[in-house]
Amino acid sequence: MTPRTVLNRGLLALAGLVLLGGGLLILFAGLDIYRRHDLVPPVGWPLTTPHDVLLGSADRARWSSQGWWWWPAVIAALILVALLALWWLLAQLHRRHPGALPVGGTPPQEGVELRDHALSDAIAAEAGALPGVEHATVHITGRPAHPRTHVTLTLTPQGAPGAALAALWEGPLRTARRSTGSPGTAHMHTDVRLQVAHDKPHRAQ
Amino acid sequence: MTPDPDPPARSSTPSARRGTVSMTKELEETEEPREPGPPEHDAPLPPDLATGEHDRRHRTHRPWSARRIPAALVASVILVAAAAALFDVVAVRAGRPAAAWRRHLADELATRPLDDVWVLTGAVVAAALGIWLIVLSLTPGLRHWLPLRSPAPGLRASLDRDGAADLLRDAAMRVPGVSTARVRVRRHRVKARADVRFRDPQQVKDDLTAVLDEERDQLVLARPPRIVVRVRRRTD
Repeated sequence: MTPRTVLNRGLLALAGLVLLGGGLLILFAGLDIYRRHDLVPPVGWPLTTPHDVLLGSADRARWSSQGWWWWPAVIAALILVALLALWWLLAQLHRRHPGALPVGGTPPQEGVELRDHALSDAIAAEAGALPGVEHATVHITGRPAHPRTHVTLTLTPQGAPGAALAALWEGPLRTARRSTGSPGTAHMHTDVRLQVAHDKPHRAQ
Repeated sequence: MTPDPDPPARSSTPSARRGTVSMTKELEETEEPREPGPPEHDAPLPPDLATGEHDRRHRTHRPWSARRIPAALVASVILVAAAAALFDVVAVRAGRPAAAWRRHLADELATRPLDDVWVLTGAVVAAALGIWLIVLSLTPGLRHWLPLRSPAPGLRASLDRDGAADLLRDAAMRVPGVSTARVRVRRHRVKARADVRFRDPQQVKDDLTAVLDEERDQLVLARPPRIVVRVRRRTD
């Protein structure tokens, strides 16, 4: 999994746990489950009986009379939360491109580098010319040392996925590996998505 | 539906583990793992090699979605809530009155008891949403993509379910006697329904089963689904 996948899934799980925990806390007290089943909530448990309120005015008064630092602390915490949320949101929007791929190993030998767009355009052109392939799009993402190639192939309705995949591996992807020749791209992870161009059902004659 | 541009999981492939070792180690190993891989999957192999190859080719996990859309939604909600609270807190510190929504919210939170129907409804919704987010974070997603057997380690491929259905339907239409065919591809089962205009329906059904089985094998799916064929005689 990429770092972003791990981050997204971790934060989603955290948000889910907070929501689930809060909801269950209210439900247990609101439906009076502690008393009905003779459960004793621990000392200091926030909500215990159906007559509690979520945030009483006494609580609010107690919190805001903590001292001069209370409101600056609240403001700082809110700014921090808002900035983290903004950063998390922006992380979904952009895709990381390696920029230039080193040719012959990292650090680049003799400073030879290959633009990622040049490589992906070359793969796309060669892949689009394969038999049974109508159209190909290629993106290269990740860091220069660990690039990932994403290929989307649109097959013609007569195409065979197995044959197209084998031809892609033996043709354009082998050329790409040979032309960079660096260890990172030798193990370049490749993700291929195959689609089929839509056509009207036709009757066999 | 646009394809999710995000890369699949990499943690469990053999070459991903190599990715963590040093560069020199990688250089030594560059050519080695490709040596024993014969191009023909069905070729007879010594047992140890056969299991290794079998393992590699069939360990085609479904790619894991990056969950970008749920993450963006949750991040936006948090951002909006935090920004609104921040603006109002700062405004109150600057001597302005609190916004109406904040006074209303504080009032509701302070007066509604926990057995109030709105509080309970909110709690149920929050708990359900929480379960849903946890499920989203733990499941692979990308249910629309069927993983394919890959010809090489480091290469991962998947086929669009609609595309698989189109290919299977075209194959079904080539069977003599079939006038219309509808194919529905799910992850573990393919349902094909065909109208038969001439020939014996039972014979057409046998032909269809054979043709669809053959076409399914051409799709090189990592987990080939079961094919269920149903034929119906057209009377008009």
